[in-house]
Amino acid sequence: MLYELDTLAGLIGHAFSLWWIMIPAIAVGLVAGAVPGFAAHNTIIILLPLTLALDVEVALVFMVALYCASHLGGGVPAILVNIPGTGGAAATTLDGYPMTKKGQAVRALALCFVASVLGGLISAIVTLFALPVLSQVGYYIHSVELVVVMLFGLALIASIAAKDMLKGLIAGAFGLMLGAMGADHIYATPRGTFGFLELFDGVPLVPALIGLFAISEAFVMLEQKTVVSDSDRPTAPPSWGESSREIFNAFRHWWQITWTAILGLVIGVLPGAGASIASFVAYQQSQFFSKTPELFGTGHPQGVIAPESANNGVTTGTLVPLLAIGVPGGSTAAVMMIVLQFHGVPFGPRLFVEQPELAYGVIAAMAVSYILMIPFMFPMVRYMSRVTVISTVYLAPFIVAFTLVGAFVPRGFLFDMSVAVAFGIIGYVARKTGYHVAAILIGVILGPLIERSFLLAMRISNNDPMVLFSSNIGNLLWVLLVLSLALPPATSWWRRRGERTNEIQKGFGDEPR
Amino acid sequence: MSEKDRPKKPVGADLILPACAAAYALYYVWSVHEFPLEAQLSGAILAGMLLLLVAIYFVRVALGFLAGRYSLGLGDFVGPPASLIGRGIFFLLMLGTLAVVPWLGFTLTTFAFLSVSFLVLGVRPVSRALAVAGTGALTGWLFFIVLLDTNFPEGPFERLVQAVF
Repeated sequence: MLYELDTLAGLIGHAFSLWWIMIPAIAVGLVAGAVPGFAAHNTIIILLPLTLALDVEVALVFMVALYCASHLGGGVPAILVNIPGTGGAAATTLDGYPMTKKGQAVRALALCFVASVLGGLISAIVTLFALPVLSQVGYYIHSVELVVVMLFGLALIASIAAKDMLKGLIAGAFGLMLGAMGADHIYATPRGTFGFLELFDGVPLVPALIGLFAISEAFVMLEQKTVVSDSDRPTAPPSWGESSREIFNAFRHWWQITWTAILGLVIGVLPGAGASIASFVAYQQSQFFSKTPELFGTGHPQGVIAPESANNGVTTGTLVPLLAIGVPGGSTAAVMMIVLQFHGVPFGPRLFVEQPELAYGVIAAMAVSYILMIPFMFPMVRYMSRVTVISTVYLAPFIVAFTLVGAFVPRGFLFDMSVAVAFGIIGYVARKTGYHVAAILIGVILGPLIERSFLLAMRISNNDPMVLFSSNIGNLLWVLLVLSLALPPATSWWRRRGERTNEIQKGFGDEPR
Repeated sequence: MSEKDRPKKPVGADLILPACAAAYALYYVWSVHEFPLEAQLSGAILAGMLLLLVAIYFVRVALGFLAGRYSLGLGDFVGPPASLIGRGIFFLLMLGTLAVVPWLGFTLTTFAFLSVSFLVLGVRPVSRALAVAGTGALTGWLFFIVLLDTNFPEGPFERLVQAVF
């Protein structure tokens, strides 16, 4: 049953009255999102004493505002220095950073902010109306479907992130292999840990993220004086007029923002399939439907809009399975779940019966936080783009100093800083030789999840591997997976063949008669 | 330009990652070889998939090598030679950070790492390198440790400030 419109209006009005907690949360979230290793869930963990002390409603609003803002902030370093602040912004680097290198940082930031704010707002509004229906999707995704969804996501990343699909697949499979490190799920015995006790729980994700993206980028960055080449370097900061013009121009892409946000929302509802997968799927779909697919990866505006809109569409989606069935859709949702459990808030159908205003109120708060982010866009576009003119001899040491110690934060192990360095070396080799680091990272994230779902499916079926082909949704996803691997080479062959035919026909036409 | 005149593409560096991946996959399989079959299954499937992909890649490179399209050179792998020594020392400084941070803590390690890195990478005058490093380290300490109470490694500076205030 849909909530009545007047009640929804009341919830949104009430969310606006909590502006005093939202604005600081947005400011912290923007900064946290922009610093690799200080993603939303880490920041919420750091601020846990604060959220536990607050009233449950205020704590929830604080967490969702911070979460939404961190997704916006994550795109900033992805565009300016090729380091995604969050995993969901990894796809943004594909076109965002090339735009920066072409001297279009202001435009890329404007596209990023508008796509993020509008995408997040649209998905929050859609969720408000569709929550009762969306909450049902999680019921249809079981272990078999999860295995295929995750392999599908990885195959998409491998096929689009790397220019060479075989290299992309090797990177993804290497990431999966690294992700399978640690104690096995049945007998709790260590596998592939080199004897390190600290790796028994698997590869720590924050150090892996920091190493693959931040440390490797710092070393690649040092090979030139500034992030942008001398010829593309802006001589003066963008004026307020230019910043505003770029922001208003970005609104012209409203249709792409809308459908990629909804795509992100749907993917976000699937437990385990978070912003990283959503942003890559949106990127691939945008490229597939684009009139200029060959421009993707070279600094194409559509390549910035798709992942940013989708990863902000995910923010509301990940809360749906948490609210509806008590299964967190992502790491931030998991942290929120812990805080809500501390406050004794029920999940699932009981939540909608006992405290419906909380279930709908959290989504309304998300919509309002995106509205409150709008004024932040103008100064951010104007001043953030100046980062690219900072000399790399300053930028690289700062990146290493602050992100390396960020690897220490989640577990408090000095060992994790060494893990970050090890992944930094892997990332450097990958960057310099065309193995996309995003494919490795997503493999590392998905490795343990795929293994868990795979083992569960095998246990349920008494070790019959045909269980992976036993569900209609799963089979449909298998077909999509095969298509996602076969279509890119097929379409590029088709395009080359068309170009050759055109050249031959043109050659005949040019011949003297 | 004919096929013969075209410069060979250096792919030596491209082999590093697949070689390491294959080595890790074999080590992984070895590390589970005494486990019950059920516990070996997922690792064996993953390793098999990775080794298959690496084998296909090596065959592709071998064919290109035999056809004279590829060479085993490293290409641009280590970046511009002019800045190689500076970047090498910067890497060693990063490793040094791992060694000293348990004793010096976040603020002093950050200051030392930043100031020496700036000097090695060519920031001059020295006073500017020290001033930027000091400001950066203190700002980091204020924001992360004082304001957010982040779990950063503590050292003499953090303990002294804690004792005084």
